[in-house]
Amino acid sequence: MRQLLYLVRQNLRRRPFRAWLMIGGIVLACATLFPAAILSKGIQDTLQTSRERMGADIVAVPAQSREEALAALISGEPTTFYMPSSLEAQVRQIPGVKRTCAQVYLRSLDAACCVVQVTLIGYDPERDFTIAPWVLQKTGERQRNNQIIVGAKVISAVVGTPAKAIGQRLIFMGKPFTVASILEPTGLGADYTVFLTMETAYRLVRESPLYPVPIRQDQVSTILVQVEEGTDPAAVAEDIERNVPEVKALTSGRLTRFFSLRLQGLADALLLAGGIFGFLAAGLVGSLFALSVRQRMRELGLFRAMGAGRGVVFRLIILEAACIAGIGGAIGVLIGACATYFSKDLITGMIGNVYVWPGNRDFLAIVLLIMAASLITGILGGLYPALRISRLEPYEAIRRGE
Amino acid sequence: MIRLENIGKRYKDLTVLDRIDWRIEDAAFVLVTGRSGGGKTTLLSIMGGLTRPDEGKVFIDDVDIWRLSEPDLAALRNRKLGFVFQFPSLIPTLRVLDNVLLPIAFSGRTPDREDRESALSLLGMVGITGKEDAYPSQLSGGQQRRVAIARAMINRPSVILADEPTGDLDETTEAEIMGLFQRINRQGVLVVMVTHALDYSSFGTPYLLKNQQVLPYEGESSPKGAKSGAS
Repeated sequence: MRQLLYLVRQNLRRRPFRAWLMIGGIVLACATLFPAAILSKGIQDTLQTSRERMGADIVAVPAQSREEALAALISGEPTTFYMPSSLEAQVRQIPGVKRTCAQVYLRSLDAACCVVQVTLIGYDPERDFTIAPWVLQKTGERQRNNQIIVGAKVISAVVGTPAKAIGQRLIFMGKPFTVASILEPTGLGADYTVFLTMETAYRLVRESPLYPVPIRQDQVSTILVQVEEGTDPAAVAEDIERNVPEVKALTSGRLTRFFSLRLQGLADALLLAGGIFGFLAAGLVGSLFALSVRQRMRELGLFRAMGAGRGVVFRLIILEAACIAGIGGAIGVLIGACATYFSKDLITGMIGNVYVWPGNRDFLAIVLLIMAASLITGILGGLYPALRISRLEPYEAIRRGE
Repeated sequence: MIRLENIGKRYKDLTVLDRIDWRIEDAAFVLVTGRSGGGKTTLLSIMGGLTRPDEGKVFIDDVDIWRLSEPDLAALRNRKLGFVFQFPSLIPTLRVLDNVLLPIAFSGRTPDREDRESALSLLGMVGITGKEDAYPSQLSGGQQRRVAIARAMINRPSVILADEPTGDLDETTEAEIMGLFQRINRQGVLVVMVTHALDYSSFGTPYLLKNQQVLPYEGESSPKGAKSGAS
């Protein structure tokens, strides 16, 4: 094997143009496939995380503000949409609904505190069942009106580390608040949200003459619904929309579908490009290998004359193909990883803040997967010429190579 | 010893070799001549296990080589035979020393220090010294041919099969190369050389390949009609 590797190395070194042309094809395919795979995996993770972390089975939003509501729920885009709070009672009446709670969304006017603009959400600490599971440091005390619970991304933007967050004073809409608790990262809009009590939310709007949308005490933004065990949330959502036409009832599936539509197009385009490049790379490697073997037919025939068996010649060509594919794959993955890393902000900007980047294990798995795909492509490209030449009689190979 | 029994070879409808019986004793120096396209190279290839005859048998040291499995035949080529071709046959991507050591690599072992010394000694014998690190493209045609001879000798074969090894060389180099083959033959190596030149009879026993038969050669216009010969 060492001897074969030496022959391969010498051949690649002494015939660099052809070698680098084949390597280039593989690099192009891998450098495209890698970000596509990372993005696809991220989308899957984001969707999964979003489904798991939404907390409610159904979110009812004002029928006329569906798009705004989706943007706020999914990616935490600051927005405002309101509906009468009396609708909550109607929703609660729908069969299959176990419990409900309402939230009111405010847009933070002065972002002086924060690098990122945040959404302020008023909620009822007594009745809410969506926030509590994500509170990282529970004090056991009921949240007071001058206290806030802040999302994970707000913490990192404002005070840096969660350890320093508790007790910090932050000013929103001209009013000071103390951080009572922080939330675990949810992968949803909650990460960019500051939660305050419903009473405080209404008071903030009342006392802020510049707030663009007047909110009355009897208005809410969302009604969060938990369904009875064993009940299909989609069926309940349909019932809600039929019986309470003022609302759109979004299940976690519908929410993530909306999110997925935003991301999947980009991932699909990259995967398609990667697939096309992969296909072209396989064709390029295959045809260049066939050409290379044809040009080296005499040389390979001479190897046979010197005592190399069919298997040795076959292995030599496959090894060369594997080396080319391996080098191309490694360079391609490296370029793809760099491109992904440096365009992280761009991708996040396109997709939204909630995009979950794959973890180290997934990252490594994708590296290995792309490398394996690259090796298989190379080996398949070399297979036919290797079989063809190794089946020729040595004299025939020498004669044809003349 | 090489023995051919009833060897026949056809390319489509063209019969190139027809029921050839021939025996070449150990340490012989045999020259085979004949017209172009007459089947000389094919005959050499069949003897060397490079192309399968349509009929007949080839024995090398009493081993019927065409009954061997492919790996065994490859091993036999590696251990017992050395080839020198009519074209530049060095591997262009390998240095001179690596070219010479190549048959050792194909024998399944990594060349060691002793092999390197042996290769350098052979290069010295063929008159190539101080060029072991050069690539073939840096050598003249005659030098390349000398390296090819050294390579053919590296595994100490009992048979050297040379196919017009001086075909494209000038007269001086041609004489030197023939001298080399003579030295090799004097070491007890059987040499079968295909050649166009008819004035080499002083080096070995000449044969003529004519009408698909190997005939003892006795001058340009009077080949014997006999079908068999001995070295």
